[in-house]
Amino acid sequence: MQVSIKWLKDYIDFKETPEKLADMLTMAGVPVENIIDPGAGLEKVITGRIEELKPHENSDHLQICTMNVGLPENIIIVTGAQNVAQGQIVPVAMIGAHLPNGMKISKGKLRGVMSYGMLCSAQELKLDLEALPDKQKTGIYILPADTPVGVPVKDLLGLNDVILEFELTANRSDCFSVFGLVREIAALTGNTPKWPAITLEENSSDKINDLLSIEIKDADLCPRFSCRMLKNVKIGPSPEWMQQRLEGAGIRAINNVVDVTNFVMIEMGQPLHAYDYDAISGHKLIARRSIEGELLHTLDDTSRKAKKDMLVIADTEKAAGLAGIMGGFETEITDKTTTVVLEAAKFYGACIRRTARSCGLASEASGRFERGTDIENTIRALDRAAQLLVQMNAGTVVKGVLDVYPEKKKPTTVDFTVEAVNRHLGTALDKQTMLNILAKLEIKAEEKNNVITAHIPSWRGDITCMQDISEEVSRIYGFDKITSTLPSGLALQGKQSEKQTFVDKIKDIMVGLGLCETVSFSFTHPSLFDKLNVPADHTIRKAIPIMNPLTDEYPLVRTCLLTSVMENLTRNFSRKNNDIKIFEVGTTFLPKALPVTELPDEHLKVAGAIAGRRNPVGWNEDNASVDFYDAKGIVEELLKNLSISRYKVEAGEHFAMHPGKTALFKKGRDTIFTVGELHPSAAAAFAINKPVYIFSADIDTLIKYAAKTIKSKPLPKYPATTRDLAIIIDTSVDAASIEKTITKSAGQYLISLDLFDVYEGKQIDAHKKSLAFSLTFQANEKTLTDAEIDAAFKNIVTALQKNYDAALRA
Amino acid sequence: MEQQLSQIKQDAIAAIKAATSLSELSEQRVKYLGKKGSLTAILRGMGKLAPEDRPRVGQLVNDVRKELETSLDDKQAALKANELANRLSTEKIDVTLPGRHHEIGHLHPLTLTLNKIKGIFKSMGYSIAEGPQIETDYFNFEALNLPKDHPARDMQDSFYITEDILMRTQTSPVQARTMQAHDPNSPIRIIAPGRVFRRDDYDATHSPMFTQVEGLCIDKDISFSDLKGTLTSAMRQLFSDDLELRFRPSFFPFTEPSAEVDITCVMCHGKGCRVCKGTGWLEILGSGMVHPHVLEMSGYDPKKVSGFAFGLGVERIAMLSYGIEDLRLFFDNDIRFLKQF
Repeated sequence: MQVSIKWLKDYIDFKETPEKLADMLTMAGVPVENIIDPGAGLEKVITGRIEELKPHENSDHLQICTMNVGLPENIIIVTGAQNVAQGQIVPVAMIGAHLPNGMKISKGKLRGVMSYGMLCSAQELKLDLEALPDKQKTGIYILPADTPVGVPVKDLLGLNDVILEFELTANRSDCFSVFGLVREIAALTGNTPKWPAITLEENSSDKINDLLSIEIKDADLCPRFSCRMLKNVKIGPSPEWMQQRLEGAGIRAINNVVDVTNFVMIEMGQPLHAYDYDAISGHKLIARRSIEGELLHTLDDTSRKAKKDMLVIADTEKAAGLAGIMGGFETEITDKTTTVVLEAAKFYGACIRRTARSCGLASEASGRFERGTDIENTIRALDRAAQLLVQMNAGTVVKGVLDVYPEKKKPTTVDFTVEAVNRHLGTALDKQTMLNILAKLEIKAEEKNNVITAHIPSWRGDITCMQDISEEVSRIYGFDKITSTLPSGLALQGKQSEKQTFVDKIKDIMVGLGLCETVSFSFTHPSLFDKLNVPADHTIRKAIPIMNPLTDEYPLVRTCLLTSVMENLTRNFSRKNNDIKIFEVGTTFLPKALPVTELPDEHLKVAGAIAGRRNPVGWNEDNASVDFYDAKGIVEELLKNLSISRYKVEAGEHFAMHPGKTALFKKGRDTIFTVGELHPSAAAAFAINKPVYIFSADIDTLIKYAAKTIKSKPLPKYPATTRDLAIIIDTSVDAASIEKTITKSAGQYLISLDLFDVYEGKQIDAHKKSLAFSLTFQANEKTLTDAEIDAAFKNIVTALQKNYDAALRA
Repeated sequence: MEQQLSQIKQDAIAAIKAATSLSELSEQRVKYLGKKGSLTAILRGMGKLAPEDRPRVGQLVNDVRKELETSLDDKQAALKANELANRLSTEKIDVTLPGRHHEIGHLHPLTLTLNKIKGIFKSMGYSIAEGPQIETDYFNFEALNLPKDHPARDMQDSFYITEDILMRTQTSPVQARTMQAHDPNSPIRIIAPGRVFRRDDYDATHSPMFTQVEGLCIDKDISFSDLKGTLTSAMRQLFSDDLELRFRPSFFPFTEPSAEVDITCVMCHGKGCRVCKGTGWLEILGSGMVHPHVLEMSGYDPKKVSGFAFGLGVERIAMLSYGIEDLRLFFDNDIRFLKQF
């Protein structure tokens, strides 16, 4: 909705500047988005006559104009324009002008001749070029010969009207009209509106009942349908003042009849439609549901197939137009139209909205119907339109109105108490203040036993309860005048769930381990599954499709966090960010079934990747790359700090990981963490040419195994003893098996076991490797003797020899 | 003998004085005071003296011994100091070389911002609630007083999964879910942070996915002035103590009255700049008094309790806090960006 200040001032006086008015309206819930001043920059542009024109001596294209600009002395202007001639009236930008295109005019010398201004083109004046004839689009804008000199161009061209552009909220349909805005201005300024008197002389001898009939077939979609008729219509342009008002509202003038329907729509908020009476078959208009597949020839000369539950206006033969959205081609007003039917109706907003969206047609009219028009306004709007057409001698008005209004809408009343409104707002306003505000908004109120009954005007469909009354009171009183308090009442504890705390902890640990947190879209693409080696029948492939995805890039909701991790990784690699340590905590979505019939399962996951250098570049750092054990170490450290212990680690498989370099962390039958090297074929699919290590876990599974509390142990009273154990075993034996044997055979005093060396190579037989452990023994109740430790050590060695044919390394 | 003693003393002092190293000094100590040292020899020869001379000479020897010991100790201290000074003067490293780094990682700026918001509201008694990101039309719209075909649905173009299931367009559905999980009319103070999805083009200020924090406070006699006070306090904690707030009447189907909240521009402190488009104000959140229909639909009685709700965009707050100009940086996850926080 946009409207000019002049149109508003037609109906109410106010002294406020456009900026101040815009601010007042905005702070009352009628937001002004933009203030457009079409004359901005033209303050120092005035009309001038070219009294004399002579060529410039030192130039073959410059000319020297002696200009009469209404001042006592003529001024000299040098111009490069070629379409000027002596005696013409042209726009002159005087010294100091700052034109809309940013150009600043100052006096200057052009090839030795002083110039005191500039002649302007239409473009330099920022005129609407499309509305101009071709010859005026370029060159200096030549004004009519009878134009006075020394007059501001702004006033002359009607560019002195400031336009307010509103960004209205969906509830205030009444403000989609000049009348509605005037009412708001009246309430805010206290000034009284000057409503136009709507008087009408039905100056034709014909009666509408004899000429036309109307019918509502589906009153749920069309609760009211009213028509008026004009005869002897002469189609022509509407008067200049009306065209200017419409232009200010962003509507281009077409002809008198169409302009009047638009004018009344903007002025009163009631869209009108005009039909060529002679093209209406059977001279009858019917508001009815469309028939599925029925053809509509709309006035944009497009043939459309109706879907069911659209509302059409039909004659006795065919659907003539989409109600409230677009009229029919056949019944359109043309230059030859002589008898006009004007329609003003109330259509069901939701239906208009659905239809407008499905046809991709949104108009000023459909927008108003969607939000809801005032059902009591149809006849007044028809009368206003007829009055305006008569005033401009465009036709004669047929006697009578056709009005079908099967179920008269009951007026809305709202009961409230002053206390309830004050309690809702936290204010202490007295009754009179509230009643005064309501009165300004034309809401009549009466009081009985402390209860006030407010009679809501028909145009304020948004007011239905006490809370709405409180809004009206507070927005006019001023939100800024309401004091700030804090809620009293019971003190509530601010808490978060165990899971939320657990997630916070995961993030903190990961950051401590040197990883950066990423946040990715919850969408994915099937090609990512292919790249990541996801098997054809895997649940990860059963991702939920989005009915209306934004682009082809993301048609699915993600089922796997690793796809997001890989996207982040490759994006970084493509930017030569080679050293990457990232993790993400995010939700994946698995449908219970496809197609989806109920809400999917949402799983919170943690996943991440590392690649590139282990340590930052430094003069004292080696350049080593991360390896599998860096990734595994991250997982181990994370688990330790999440109080998850006594898990088993075993070699395993994951589709996205190298089959020989994948570790599964297990608790019973649950895999609590998976870590491994990115599968070489996945790496190739993502065009990655260096090792990447990835990991992933389900957060609910982790929580299941995390100790809920930390119980501290006292420090040992007796000293610990450390012994080193180096053994040689077959390379095929894994470290975990050896550790398990040591732990089992060591007895109660072994308190820790650290593998500090793994060696294969010289000094050791082929297919053999050496593992070296540091074993720490300690007892709670005594200092261990050498003999006790020797015994434990011997047990270990015996068990290792027996189970793995291990030899002690010398 | 006394003469001999005097000679020893003289020689010893000269030798101590001349010593240039600790080992040399140690030799002198042995030479004069050691078991076979000159002074010890004299002490041993005391037996030959007349008994009446012994105490006097003994005293003399002791005096010389003490004198020599002091002298030796002093010299030793001096030599040690000298030696340390020498060592220190050679042990010089280039302290301007960079240190050894054990780089820690970085939380995402959205997490940092969210943590700050959570902390503020938790301290004000708000618990953290959550809800599903894929929602039913009922919770996302209808339970919030947004029936099908309501024009306000246009404000939130949705990603649909089916006719009735969609990617939630706001965190507000957690309001209804929380109320329905509570005893009717029992007090509630929650914030619900989370991802939301709208069919917006991806550009510097729009994204099909972003983060919202919904807030809800319900109790007896909660008023619009409580809403103003709560949000004023929270925004001041988030930005600065001298922040001004402006409450503008607006419209949301689930609140009545509704208010858009502006804060004084954090870039120019209200003077007007590029970020606030010269207005001095920044739109920061939407809020209002919970609509009676919303309360009723979730089993609360608007005659007995009232409440306020608000929703704020985490990306917007993070952008203002950190001076981030392009929203896409959040989801781009360039490590050079992530490491700045």
